[in-house]
Amino acid sequence: MLELVGLWKRFGGVTAVADFSLTVPQGELLALLGPSGCGKTTVLRIVAGLEKPDAGRVLLGGRDATPWPPERRGVGLVFQSYALFPHLSVAGNVAYGLRGADRRKRVRQILELVGLSGYERRKPHELSAGQQQRVALARALAPAPEVLLLDEPLSALDAALRKELRGELRALLKRLGMTALYVTHDQEEALALADRVAVMREGRLEQIAPPAELYHRPQTPFVASFLGRANLWPGRVVSVDGDRAGVEVAGERIPAERGEAREGDEVLLFFRPEWAKIGEGPFTAEVESAEYLGDRWEVRARFRGLPLVLISGKWASLPGGQAIFSIERAQAIHPAL
Amino acid sequence: MGAGWALALLPLLFLGLAFFWPLLDVLRLGLERDGRLTGERVLGLLSDPYVRRLLLFTLGQAALSALLALVLGFPLGWFLTRYRFPGRTLLRSVTIVPFVLPSITVALGFVLFFGRSGYLNRFLMDLLGLREPPIRVLYTLWAVVLAHAFYNAPVVARFVNASWEGADPSLPEAARTLGAGPLRTFLTVTLPLLLPSVLSALALVFVLCTLSFSIPLALGGARYATVEVGVYLYARGVLVDFPRAAALAMVTLVLSLALTYLHLRAGGGLAVPQRGGRPVPRLPLFSRKRPIRALWLLYLLPAALVFLGPIGAIVADSFLHPAPGGAPPTLHWYRMIVSPAWNPFLESSPWGAVRTSLLVAAGATALALLLGLSVAAVLRRIRSRLLETLLMAPLAVSSVVLGLALLLAFRRPPLSALGGEWAIVVAHTLIVYPFVVRAIRPLWEGLDPALVEAARTLGAGPLRAFRTVTLPLLGRGVLAAGAFAFALSLGEMTAVAMLSGPGVMTMPMAIYSFLASRDFGAASAMATLLMAVTALVAWGWDWAGSRWLGRTRA
Repeated sequence: MLELVGLWKRFGGVTAVADFSLTVPQGELLALLGPSGCGKTTVLRIVAGLEKPDAGRVLLGGRDATPWPPERRGVGLVFQSYALFPHLSVAGNVAYGLRGADRRKRVRQILELVGLSGYERRKPHELSAGQQQRVALARALAPAPEVLLLDEPLSALDAALRKELRGELRALLKRLGMTALYVTHDQEEALALADRVAVMREGRLEQIAPPAELYHRPQTPFVASFLGRANLWPGRVVSVDGDRAGVEVAGERIPAERGEAREGDEVLLFFRPEWAKIGEGPFTAEVESAEYLGDRWEVRARFRGLPLVLISGKWASLPGGQAIFSIERAQAIHPAL
Repeated sequence: MGAGWALALLPLLFLGLAFFWPLLDVLRLGLERDGRLTGERVLGLLSDPYVRRLLLFTLGQAALSALLALVLGFPLGWFLTRYRFPGRTLLRSVTIVPFVLPSITVALGFVLFFGRSGYLNRFLMDLLGLREPPIRVLYTLWAVVLAHAFYNAPVVARFVNASWEGADPSLPEAARTLGAGPLRTFLTVTLPLLLPSVLSALALVFVLCTLSFSIPLALGGARYATVEVGVYLYARGVLVDFPRAAALAMVTLVLSLALTYLHLRAGGGLAVPQRGGRPVPRLPLFSRKRPIRALWLLYLLPAALVFLGPIGAIVADSFLHPAPGGAPPTLHWYRMIVSPAWNPFLESSPWGAVRTSLLVAAGATALALLLGLSVAAVLRRIRSRLLETLLMAPLAVSSVVLGLALLLAFRRPPLSALGGEWAIVVAHTLIVYPFVVRAIRPLWEGLDPALVEAARTLGAGPLRAFRTVTLPLLGRGVLAAGAFAFALSLGEMTAVAMLSGPGVMTMPMAIYSFLASRDFGAASAMATLLMAVTALVAWGWDWAGSRWLGRTRA
């Protein structure tokens, strides 16, 4: 189990990590997601002991590890650049963190696990990018770390390989029951791979939730627009009924999930493009452009001056460049303070 | 393709006339006996105990010098890479000094600082109340080794610093997360990563010390001569024996070819993946938590003394050396070196030496830029290993051999029509232009060919496109190469030693003559002037962006 309590880190005048707390239970695969420069890699390096936090604690298995040097922590780290030792063979790299007589057995075992049996004698530069990635993973896993940290491990690979490996990676980590913290800026990767996703912004934790909840019930406009496409319209809560609310947007009253909003609050009405239905319903939009994307059309339009993105599986020509649509599901979100 | 070969004609013609033909003549002279070619003379030399001693001494002192340079230079490279402290950038740029500091000034500085009545001995005798000087290194093997190490330690430091800063800092971090402590990380990851560049630096220093001339000549005396000095003694010594000089030149030619080959091999060793975008983290040097870092002072203070002492001694001596008529400090020695009066030791006037140096450097720089640019242009158009080897061949020939070849060539028509200064200009051109090529080629290859094509479609002919597009874009590189060529020519003494004569004298050779006649005040003043001019030029070179390091020695 990994616990982070109130971490702070400043570099010069820049705050990289601000009051960051997080718990990763035993066996969980947690993705730390955020745009570049949000401090997620710094959190990872603090956990590994490669940076000292200005304040806060790192607890590993319930023990305070904050003053420990990296070599004492029993934390495995897969680097973004892999950081394979160029002067050592694949076996030499994997064995680097191992002690004792059964090192060779363990190397063979772990290489088999990542599907690289027979590559023991190769040097890192003789491997493809995907194979190097597997060696980096094998090397970090070999000493059986308590927690595995992964710093954008797939970002150096091309899109197709990235998709293939992330499935494999999840299956492997789950099979080993590994507690893992996975840093990425790719929202699709985070959703596909993790048990829970923590979204970071400017050094702070924005929201932490399982992927589906994060996508369907974002709590902030940033999370809403960072994970997928979002329509966000400014409005006001005019009526409340249980967990439902009526939000007035541009003179129109639209029903929505209430969330934390109360009557009279200035909110943002949030809905994903696929939550609206084109071709039926009470609202009319002025279509500005429509792009054909194979399996769907993406329609950009305006609704009383507000920008609108819609998805449609079929396309019928619209008289006068207008489209009628309905909003099947929407949600009220408090604007960022 | 035809245009490329036409372009190749000019440099090939120049090299043929001024390099290949004179060099072949040396070979002929070394091999010919009674009108037929034979290897007898060379083999005879190799069985001569004196020549064997020369060879043994040359290689032995080079190996010792390289090792000592490593011992002195590695900590400096480490220090520059890992710590932050005020003056770090300045210290780093000071390590460029040996690349341009004329070696004869190093020799002079050693005599003045470490000599029997040098500054260090006088200071220690005063301090300890001794009657005899405690340090006696001059005219021994150790004087040569120490001066070479002093001269080359910064080279090692630069190599270590550059490769350490180029290495991905994630690698030692990865070792730490895998359970290795700081010591094990250093020994099993950092050190192996630095090994190729350390070996490459060692090889370079070994080559430089093997072919070194001024330092063994001035500090070793006739007893501790290297092969290069041997060639000089046969060609310009008391008993002139050109065939013997030519035969020994062949021996050193083979030696330098072999070493150049080995050095190039060592340089192309293990490829280290370069940097993950993050710079190497630097630790504060002064830290309350880690007072142990203050131990660096145990290295830094003596190192500063050894590095700065000799140079400081020269500058100090140029003002403080006792002069006739008046107590120091004095400007007497500066007045002397700008004097136009004939000096029998120099076989020239001191001011004449200054003038000749500047004129020769200007001429050699202009010729080297012309030659270097055309060679770079040819090698860009024609990819041929043979042509490249031919066009860069002077790089593998030591300055003594080059000097001998030109000495013989300029005694005969057609070159004998030119004055003695021209021999030096040609020699310096040949020594310097390979560095011009090396500096300009990567810049030129990096230029987008579409730029010249755009100029051509806009109506510019090939010459106008070169003048208005290529040359301005190479501008800083050409400027830097020119400044470097100028500094190198100013400090070059080896070829000059072979080619100087009555009225044909340069500043480094004048320093050597003053030193040999134990005229230390004049030598110091001349050396201070030379260092000042060189420093000015080197500053211009550094400013114009030093992008390369190579086999460079005055």
